[in-house]
Amino acid sequence: MSNNRDSINNKVSNSAEQGVNFTIDQVAENALLLSWQAKISLTQHNEIIALQAMISQQLGELIIETVASYHCLMVYYCPQLSSSMQVIDKINRITKNVSYKHSDGYHQDNNPNHKLAHQPARNHCIKIPVYYDREQQWDLADVAKRCNMSMDEVIKQHSAHTYHGYALGFTPGFCYLASLPESLQLPRKSSPRIKVPKGAVAIAEQQSAVYPIESPGGWHIIGQTPLPMYESHHGQFNARIQVGQNVQFYAISKAEFIALEQGLTE
Amino acid sequence: MKQNFLEIITMNGQASIQDLGRLNAQHLGFSASGAADEFAFLSANKLITNKLNIKPEHNIAKINNKLANDAAIEITLGQVSLKANAACTIAITGADCQAKINNVTINNWQCHQLDAGDIIDFAMPKTQLHSYLTTAGGFTCQTAQQPWLGSLAQTVNEMALGFTGKALMVGSKLYFSKQNKPLADATPTQKTQLDSLKANRPTTSPALFYPQQKLTLRVMPSHLFLQMSSAQQQQFLATEYVISPDSNRMGYRLHVKPTQTSSPDKKILTQQLRSQCLLSMPVTYGMVQFPDNEQPIILMKERQTMGGYPVLGTVMQTDLFRLSQMRPGGKVSFTLITHPQAQQQLRAFYQKLY
Repeated sequence: MSNNRDSINNKVSNSAEQGVNFTIDQVAENALLLSWQAKISLTQHNEIIALQAMISQQLGELIIETVASYHCLMVYYCPQLSSSMQVIDKINRITKNVSYKHSDGYHQDNNPNHKLAHQPARNHCIKIPVYYDREQQWDLADVAKRCNMSMDEVIKQHSAHTYHGYALGFTPGFCYLASLPESLQLPRKSSPRIKVPKGAVAIAEQQSAVYPIESPGGWHIIGQTPLPMYESHHGQFNARIQVGQNVQFYAISKAEFIALEQGLTE
Repeated sequence: MKQNFLEIITMNGQASIQDLGRLNAQHLGFSASGAADEFAFLSANKLITNKLNIKPEHNIAKINNKLANDAAIEITLGQVSLKANAACTIAITGADCQAKINNVTINNWQCHQLDAGDIIDFAMPKTQLHSYLTTAGGFTCQTAQQPWLGSLAQTVNEMALGFTGKALMVGSKLYFSKQNKPLADATPTQKTQLDSLKANRPTTSPALFYPQQKLTLRVMPSHLFLQMSSAQQQQFLATEYVISPDSNRMGYRLHVKPTQTSSPDKKILTQQLRSQCLLSMPVTYGMVQFPDNEQPIILMKERQTMGGYPVLGTVMQTDLFRLSQMRPGGKVSFTLITHPQAQQQLRAFYQKLY
């Protein structure tokens, strides 16, 4: 049965940096999955998206697309144009020949808070206005109760933190943000809501996110933003929050929410 | 310019516009979507298309770009009738809906001619699920509709975004793409091509492609599967599963036949291995998710782009096309295949159908 395994270990090291460590698995006829250690780490994620950029740049035509997440990078290629071994070989060459970790202009640093200080310009912080709903329409009161703090404290902690976009998925423009302060971490709701409203700001486990359109959802809703989570022009779709970007939430009043919402729709 | 169309006049099942899907927008969170059964979908296009003379080199680019103007109507469980407002040539494939033109039964897996005012009626099929109706150049559900991010495919969960028109219902008009000319107006060259088309049947007959009863799904084992003990691997491979009624275009849910239910201490996936798989990660077509209840979920065309359940492997694509036509209650089991073998099967499949 071990013959069925076509996994290659990449242990690329260079003198200046700690070794890159990920595995490549052929997970479908047209897809390779690159996996790093299963953890939420800003350092590791920056490596993943730097490698993603290099792959898109250098493998061009062979690649259909790449999808990044917390600790994985899925690479879709065209099996009619190249074999998986060719693509794997090219990925290995990128990791060997280029110190891609430098391409993003940062250094080895395991403290995520230090990392935020020298993010490249594209990582400027996106500020998202949130009407934290104290009127108990959603889950703010319940979250406060379960976290043993006041609603004001939940709002303060949620909005004081800087989050990082780790993955886009679930629905178009839904960006998984982490990490939520430990004091606010709760498991998902035991039964998901059938309808979560557009713009809902929600939390679950180590993550926070904004729902771009009305959809089902199992996260705890603590507020709502009037800011659209995507825009589309001339057949292009742009997510407000891109993978690799930093995000902060700030509290607004109900009146400000309504004013902003009206201003945006006019 | 006025576009001609078929209009839905009755509908009790489900129908949507499908092509080969939106394969390069998963990084934005869009489902790849696309025709559930590529064998029937591509056969319909092969029957009708006037692009038959394209050389294989060009076909490679076509597969890569997933040309959107081939979009067909995917009809699930039949029960739809449509009226043509202009003459056109159509092809029908997939689940056999005993289709009729003006109450005269017609053959499935063939091209047919419709005249203005003709009504084509699809009954509920006795077996299978999805039928395909296409015309040269394909259909759109709006006039002059452009593909959205490379595809016209509709996805239930994304209809609210409004990028791919409205869900099909009674009154919906399915427009022929502009370049489509009815057979009567065809140039002599097109006529010759169309004549050669009529002689050209799919090189694999449907009877040979689809399983007669139970389907053994060939699966490429995941890294996680290879860490399981040999006894646990064998237990998974020896289990016969039944397709649950909760299955749809997003995913096929399987359950163990009640007679086989094993005691809780005989889990296939240990807690220790399960605990390695807590973070959401990108998922792809055919992945076999294995939630705590050990009832597998196979990800199909309308899957989401991220998943959080442990994955035991990936079913090869040509078997997924077969699976997509199976109904709840159908029996499936798994057997292992290598990645190069699966790739070889897919290449051979596209060579026959492009």
